[in-house]
Amino acid sequence: MQEALVKFKSRYWPDHLLGEILSKRWTETAIPMIVLIVVAIALSRAIPGFLSPASLGDTARQAGEIGFVVLGMGLVVIVGGIDLSVGSMFALCDFCALYCLDVLGWPVPAVIVATIACGALLGAVNGVLIGYLRLRAFITTLITLIIFRSTYDLLLVGNSVKIAASMPDFPSWDFIGGGDVFGIPSVALLYIVVAIFGHIFLTRLRPGWHITAIGGSRRSAYNSGIPVRRTIALCYVASGALTAIGALFFAARLGTVGGDVGIGLEVTVLTATVLGGITLGGGKGSVAKALAGTLIVLLITNGLTTLSVRGGYNRMVLASILLVAAMIDIRWLKNRNRIISKVYVAPAYHYLPPPPPTEIGKGGPFEQNDKLRNVSLIGLGKIEAPEDVILDRHDNLYAGSRHGDIMKFYAPDYSRMEVFAHIGGQPLGMAFDRNDNLYCCIGGMGLYRIAPDGKVEKATDETNRSIWSVNDDSRLRLADDLDIADDGRIFFSEATVRYEMDEWPVDGLEARGNGRIICYDPNTNSTRTVLRGLKFPNGIAIASDRQSILFAETFGCSIKRYWFDGPKSGTVEVVMDNLPGYPDNINLASDGNYWLALVGMRSPTLDLAWRMPDFRRRMGKRLPVDEWLFPNINTGCVVKFNEEGQILESLWDLSGANHPMITSMREHRGHLYLGGIANNRIGRYKLDGADPNFVQYDKRWGKQS
Amino acid sequence: MIPALREFAHRFLGRGEGAITVPPFDGALKPNQTLEHAEIVATLPTAEDLATDGSALYVADGQAVLQMDGASLAPVRQFEQPLTALCVLPDGRLAVALAGREVRVFAPGDSSDIVISGEGMTAVNALAPGRNGTLLATDGSTDLPYAEWGRDLLSRGRSGRLLSVDPASRKIEVVASGLRYAFGAAASGDTTLVSESWRHRLIAVSAKGDIKPVFDHLPVYPSRLTPAVGGGFWMTAFTARTQLIEFVLREAAYRRRMMAEIDPEFWIVPRLTAGHSFREPMQGAHLKTMGIIKPWAPPRSYGLVVRLGADYAPLYSLHSRVDGSNHGVVAAVEVADSLYVLAKGPGRLLRLKLSDIKSEVGA
Repeated sequence: MQEALVKFKSRYWPDHLLGEILSKRWTETAIPMIVLIVVAIALSRAIPGFLSPASLGDTARQAGEIGFVVLGMGLVVIVGGIDLSVGSMFALCDFCALYCLDVLGWPVPAVIVATIACGALLGAVNGVLIGYLRLRAFITTLITLIIFRSTYDLLLVGNSVKIAASMPDFPSWDFIGGGDVFGIPSVALLYIVVAIFGHIFLTRLRPGWHITAIGGSRRSAYNSGIPVRRTIALCYVASGALTAIGALFFAARLGTVGGDVGIGLEVTVLTATVLGGITLGGGKGSVAKALAGTLIVLLITNGLTTLSVRGGYNRMVLASILLVAAMIDIRWLKNRNRIISKVYVAPAYHYLPPPPPTEIGKGGPFEQNDKLRNVSLIGLGKIEAPEDVILDRHDNLYAGSRHGDIMKFYAPDYSRMEVFAHIGGQPLGMAFDRNDNLYCCIGGMGLYRIAPDGKVEKATDETNRSIWSVNDDSRLRLADDLDIADDGRIFFSEATVRYEMDEWPVDGLEARGNGRIICYDPNTNSTRTVLRGLKFPNGIAIASDRQSILFAETFGCSIKRYWFDGPKSGTVEVVMDNLPGYPDNINLASDGNYWLALVGMRSPTLDLAWRMPDFRRRMGKRLPVDEWLFPNINTGCVVKFNEEGQILESLWDLSGANHPMITSMREHRGHLYLGGIANNRIGRYKLDGADPNFVQYDKRWGKQS
Repeated sequence: MIPALREFAHRFLGRGEGAITVPPFDGALKPNQTLEHAEIVATLPTAEDLATDGSALYVADGQAVLQMDGASLAPVRQFEQPLTALCVLPDGRLAVALAGREVRVFAPGDSSDIVISGEGMTAVNALAPGRNGTLLATDGSTDLPYAEWGRDLLSRGRSGRLLSVDPASRKIEVVASGLRYAFGAAASGDTTLVSESWRHRLIAVSAKGDIKPVFDHLPVYPSRLTPAVGGGFWMTAFTARTQLIEFVLREAAYRRRMMAEIDPEFWIVPRLTAGHSFREPMQGAHLKTMGIIKPWAPPRSYGLVVRLGADYAPLYSLHSRVDGSNHGVVAAVEVADSLYVLAKGPGRLLRLKLSDIKSEVGA
């Protein structure tokens, strides 16, 4: 009963998604967005007409003005600084705009240019001090805050009356202050344009990347040749200019120069920045975050004002929010990776019936024997990690090594060895095509093609992205084994899409269908996924009808058949299941049957653990990988089976001395060649009664002279 | 209330008592391969215990007591039940435990035995001479027989006892009870030194039954103790701890199902010998790479003898590591210039010259 519940939960509750979602960068933007929606809904419930068009238009106007300042602040924070002087700059720019317009009587375009230039100049003061003279951002802008504010107060004396007295009447000026296009306020329109540009700038353009890089690590950015000082200085200039734009709209809307203009603005803006999720430490942030933060802060302040909360409390609320947001920001930044690594691994329920017997004396096709005791060894101590072995038409032997090479052993005695090709990743399954090109799956890299002269080419390293998967599964993480159809299409398995090759035990701990089978068509140079949700798919071999493949699911302990052509196209059938071990590579035998490597054998304790996902989850968290309960891959065997799913023969190495692990085998001229990914040797076993002239790729592609 | 909450939080978060940590083999327990390189005197698959009177070596082998005579082992006495413990009393008589339920005292060549039974003796696994002609016995568990010590560990058994047996009056006195598997005792002055295996410690038990830990936080499960010539003791450890077992001991549901559904041979539990079947549990570090299994891998079975000083502090130790085979050491006795060690895993009687040990471990 309880087990049924566990099974049900494991099947329908997608707990592997939590880790995948949290590891997405966009969750950091999603959280402020959710807060924004919650705030908007809560306030619209509390205040009638809060979200009415008129109210929204008014909010949008203020949002635009503050929004520009937040954009500037965001930029400075991303580059790793802070700008406390925005409030004073805002006031000075407001004064500049109104003085030029009302007292000097300049035309509106000239006023706009002058104001922005004024803001940029003020920002440049900060920029030079912080960027070039390398003063601390916090203390510098605190000082400029005071200086700019004092300047403003001094200028105000004598001029405020002049400004207040004049009543300029320019339609363009009024449009800036209160106009709209299709109901959208002018300020919001410009904000949208600037925001879109800002987004492209930060995410797609070189200077934007420089800014993020400097914020992330100033020293690394400097070492990689980024002009750190200039970029920082320019960010402060941009902050000043953006503040000036905000001030311009403010001036046009209200036309006043009071003593309280811009006072406390830096707190509002900083709150918006941090609340949006722009990290104070620098290096992280986006325009969307700045926008979300601006709207949250504005909705809250406006909401509180409408609810007749007194100004003091209003500020207090804002400051408290800033404190909480900064705290969450710090904690999240520190613990993000830890949290993700804790929730990412999500074991699933995996039931296997009791396995068939293997013990001597119990009979059955898997009964142990000692046939592999007398294998001769090739390349002992000279090759490491030959996952697959393959022989060409001229009897030469090829095997991968963990140094990222494909080694070639020369016939007839296989004692001479050389590096055939260097690829750089661990070579796994291999197959020859019609033209003697060697196709090889490389763990962590993809599918590679090696020409007979040893030239290495990438065939494919990506496939179509699944629509519904959260993780981007277009890149190949663990291409494992392959075989080639008559028309040249290559079917290869990818063992897992959630982990890297060295993390295969984690995938075993999860025992979830994370693997897939992918088809690469060299004729069109296209790649697409054909089967998903497989439990560590591994060996692949073309079946006798040439319209289907046989594939092994290692942790599923089964062999299945998939038709890619013909009347049964697209269907999957089980050939064998409940194997006593973990199947690995499949290859053709001379009598038309198939060799299958069992890389390891099942143990009852792991079979039970696979039925208890929570036990494994805790094991994964509490124990180091070296202490985990593993699939036993220290003992394996080779079996021969046919397409009806019958086991015909099994070959064992009882002592496990020569071949503790067998991941692949290849029949060639009456011998069986054995490879193992944790071995430092290749085995050669004399097959009794096998066709002494059998050459797999002569048979597959027709004999060539 | 608060301790209960704290315990729950610890279990939930894997902190405190819920943390799965095993002390490292460090200091005097630093690993070597001395035990692995020891001379094999005899292969005795059913041997259970060793004892000596200072000059002769006695072996409890299956249902027989053997005496080492030069190079060969000669039977001294045959019993009708398997022996689980053996010791030599100061007066030269021998004491044996039969199937963990009965203690017999006899003199070699004399057929009149003193038979002592009762007091619920279930798994008497070690005997040692006590004070005033008494006999010390450890009863591993009163719930499960001697052979099922693995189930006792997984059941978190705490029914071990220290008994004091008086052969003259055939009376048994329970000195201490509620021990988490008592396996091995040795008289030490006024107190008795006892191995409390499942708590990974040695305790000193006073005549009144007061318990004081004297050597704890061991990375192994200690077993029988014998006095060393010149003061101190030889302590054997029949198997070692691993984090996986510590973890399984905190997983009640898995343990219950494992004991109910799986053959005991393949349980996640310490064993005297390992690596004979691929159906045994395999851990990450057990993966043979380039044909080699790492000696530091978590031990399913292990061989260890520790020389303790008179103050119970370890002086040096003899190891057979994960890649070795002399595992499951249950007895070590010093005879003349040699240390005889019984590795029950492979069923071997091993001999190490004390002078060789000294030069090899630098003791």
